[in-house]
Amino acid sequence: MRLVEFSINRPKLVVFLTIIVTLLFAIQFPKIRIDTDPENMLKADEPIRVFHKNVKKEFGIEEMIVLGIAREDGIFHKDSLERIKRISDGILRIKGVIADDVMSLTVTNNVVGMDGTLNVRPPMVDVPETDAEIERLRKEVLDHPLFKDRIVSSDGKGSSIYVPIESKDIAHEIGEKIKVLYKKENGPERYYLAGLPIAEDTFGSEMFVQMGLTAPMAGVLLMIVFFIIFRRISFVVPPMMVAMLSVAWTMGGLIGSGFTVHIMSSMIPVFLMPIAICETVHILSDFYEKLPQVNDRKKAILAVFDELVKPLFFAPITTAVGFADLALADIPPVKVFGIFIAIGIVIAWFLSMTFLPALLMLIKEKRPIVKEETGSKVLGWIGRFSLGKSMAVVLTGAILLAISAYGITTLKVNDNPVKWFKSHHPIRVADRELNKLIGGTYISYLVLESEAEDEIKKPEVMGYMEALQKHLETNPIVGKTTSIVDVVKRVNYVLHDEDQRSQILPKDQNTTGQYLFLFLMSSSPDELDHFVDYTYQKANIWVQLKSGDNRDMTAVVEDVENYIKGNPLPDGIKVQWSGLPFLNITWQKLMVNGMLKATIGTWWVVFLLMVLQFRSIWWGIVGMLPLVFAVVFSYGLIGFIGKEYDMPIAVCSTLALGLGDDFAIHFISRFRQRFRETKELKQAMELTMGGEPALAIFRNALVVGLGFFPMVMATLTPYVTVGLFFGALAFFSGVTTLIFLPALIGSFKKVLLKI
Amino acid sequence: MIRTLFLIGAFLFLGFSKICSAQEGFSAQEVIAKSRLAFFYAANDMRVKISMELINQNGHKRVRELTMLRKDYEDGGEQKYFMYFHKPADVKDTTFMVYKYPDKDDDRWLFIPAIDLVKRIAANDKFSSFVGSDFTYEDVSGRKPEEDTHHLLRKEVLNDNNCFVIESIPRGKAEYTKRISWMDENNFLPLKEEFYDKQNELYRQFEAQEVKEINGIMTITKRVMRNLKTGHRTEVVFQEVEYNSGITDDIFSERYLRKAPMEWVK
Repeated sequence: MRLVEFSINRPKLVVFLTIIVTLLFAIQFPKIRIDTDPENMLKADEPIRVFHKNVKKEFGIEEMIVLGIAREDGIFHKDSLERIKRISDGILRIKGVIADDVMSLTVTNNVVGMDGTLNVRPPMVDVPETDAEIERLRKEVLDHPLFKDRIVSSDGKGSSIYVPIESKDIAHEIGEKIKVLYKKENGPERYYLAGLPIAEDTFGSEMFVQMGLTAPMAGVLLMIVFFIIFRRISFVVPPMMVAMLSVAWTMGGLIGSGFTVHIMSSMIPVFLMPIAICETVHILSDFYEKLPQVNDRKKAILAVFDELVKPLFFAPITTAVGFADLALADIPPVKVFGIFIAIGIVIAWFLSMTFLPALLMLIKEKRPIVKEETGSKVLGWIGRFSLGKSMAVVLTGAILLAISAYGITTLKVNDNPVKWFKSHHPIRVADRELNKLIGGTYISYLVLESEAEDEIKKPEVMGYMEALQKHLETNPIVGKTTSIVDVVKRVNYVLHDEDQRSQILPKDQNTTGQYLFLFLMSSSPDELDHFVDYTYQKANIWVQLKSGDNRDMTAVVEDVENYIKGNPLPDGIKVQWSGLPFLNITWQKLMVNGMLKATIGTWWVVFLLMVLQFRSIWWGIVGMLPLVFAVVFSYGLIGFIGKEYDMPIAVCSTLALGLGDDFAIHFISRFRQRFRETKELKQAMELTMGGEPALAIFRNALVVGLGFFPMVMATLTPYVTVGLFFGALAFFSGVTTLIFLPALIGSFKKVLLKI
Repeated sequence: MIRTLFLIGAFLFLGFSKICSAQEGFSAQEVIAKSRLAFFYAANDMRVKISMELINQNGHKRVRELTMLRKDYEDGGEQKYFMYFHKPADVKDTTFMVYKYPDKDDDRWLFIPAIDLVKRIAANDKFSSFVGSDFTYEDVSGRKPEEDTHHLLRKEVLNDNNCFVIESIPRGKAEYTKRISWMDENNFLPLKEEFYDKQNELYRQFEAQEVKEINGIMTITKRVMRNLKTGHRTEVVFQEVEYNSGITDDIFSERYLRKAPMEWVK
């Protein structure tokens, strides 16, 4: 209260100080560091992440970009092959590309027998000149399991170049350089650039754009909605200012304290804005109701804060504590997200107590204030209706709740970083086309580990891998598998004059050892590193998936588990998955369970706070209901429309906290205030529903629901999801607060009001 | 007068540039040519037991142990190599033979004991890895001086040895885009070499770690080739080096490939 008094007495000073502080935070912005690696959803020391790192180190595996080159009538034309050659040569020269490990027609070694001579060399060192030579090249690669469906599509219509890069965060940059290379070519070929690293890194670059574009767009639309609802500039500017400043301070603080802006923290502004706006709308609604009565700005402000000080304090604090509780989650970006939203809410509360009243003092208004009539009439009617038919309304609510709960059970948990782009985005298109063309751009690794050196060369181990690969390739999601087994079989085949019957594994370990030795005689020392470790203690099966959906990867993992149950592993051998798709399902599990646990934990905290605040368990329960309803309805709806439960949706559940919480606390505390004054249910409800409190809640729901609609136009689906979800949440929170709360209070008046 | 001055000037200029390009009477091209003979064509034949350790970036090792026989037919010209592998255990008795011709592709044969098969192996280029190490065939058997343009960069002392530092840029197709070599002024052995790749970054580095005089011939007995990009390296130690022991021509034949001459390779 003293804060408010100080601010209205020295408004200019307060505004000036606010600007200074804002500048201090604003100068932090250039330090921004973006982190788009979903891997960072896991802690750095999470076992699966450590294993993935080891696998990468052990098998010399880097993150891969895949470039597909396709031509309708086939790539086996001289000009197309020349282009492939030029482009691969160009790629090898790009800095950041690990040239030694690039895979393409021109650099990946093949083992062939020619005129009795064994030859280890790439199929296309030089572009073939004659049709006969081209035909020979075609036969050579399509005949070879290490090339077919991997480097060349089985119908000969496409070829791909796998480009390993030094780190994931240069994927987008390297992708742009590759684009320059193929844009120089004017042929009939089409080009597709795909791969998880490029999707993730491109997401990062676009995130910048979205943050810079969508957030202000949402801001502008919010202002328009505000203006349409309140029809006065003085009602538009203050809430917007408070929201913007809260965001600026919070993000400045986040960046300034050295945190990276992750996919999650990039959404902080979008989450914070509605929460900040809600508070100011309560204050302004009350202010413009009181102003005509007292006709003095200072007195009106004091009266407003006198009435609102409790809900204005409890609503944000409860929400802030709820968000801060996310810090207990095991997911680092979620912690940062929770803590900084909590900080942002406190900042917004502080600004509403200082900057906002100061601003209200400085605004000069000439137009007389007109009382909002229609809205209040409708709301008053709704209040009377739900109070009158309270049992029916409560029953309807309960039935809807049950139906929605059923909807939730139909939710499909799935995520895929590639699907964070809209379906017509070049990355999605490339992903679809390329996965039609080759064995799959999503590369997982199945690692076999033994206890001693040279174990992998044992015939029973090699045989097991062969059978496992064969089984995996029957799975429709798996496009292609490759391993050391394919290399050994290939050498055997070539040494036996390409007799089809010799496309098999040798029967003893020495022969396998000598074949591998022979292969390594003629290729670089790390040629086999992607398949075996240095001492032949571990082997790595490359499993290329046609889909990056976590659900599909999960199915493949289960498939392998079942296979191993039916076909026990050789003695001393263990298997373990690795690779980005597997990491993604791991963090998805953590995310789904983690967010669920965190959210439930948060709800308990919020519930306890409400009980304390209302000094009543029953009121606490009633206060929680809008939250519960909003979330259950929203998720039920998602389940029914068949949208998949992905990361953005998981994050959204926390927003219900911010909105539902605010609506309920304001409604209940101000209803009880009026009930204390009137001692009469109907009259108190009429004052609440037909007066300013319900109107403010209604306005908030409208502003939040509509204001974030432009996010639907974003090119990145997480933003679209958030935009839509905001609408749903605002709608459901508003509806439950304004329709069900009166009915609930009516139905349970004996326990709640002791009458 | 002016003419005289001009002539003197021209003379001085020519003399100066001669000093620049040919220290101590050798042009960069000559240093490279001499180095090739000293390094790859020492004596008329050589027998050596080689232990080779292939070490990856994680420090894991693969060991190759072999006996190599080499016979020269002409200095700077044709050579034959015979290799018998003692280790790793599962490749014991594998033999490998190379006929090297300076002007055309090598002939290479490998004997695979497990299936009792001699197979000719194609030699597409001289840049491919030598028995899976970081050394290429060229690193092991040399490259014709005419294939690069050489340029003396400077003279430098490297580990107490006076060296010519020579830059070589390939004229045609090559595995590197630039090579810089430190050649010992006294014996012309390469003490260090740096190879630059297509991205114009240093990616391979050769270093002679031990030089010994054997039968009057300066011989590099320990050497390492590092791949700086992959972190992989190959360490090579020469033991039991013998020169001019009269290795006969018939050793380099398919018969001995199948049944190694134990008196030579033991």
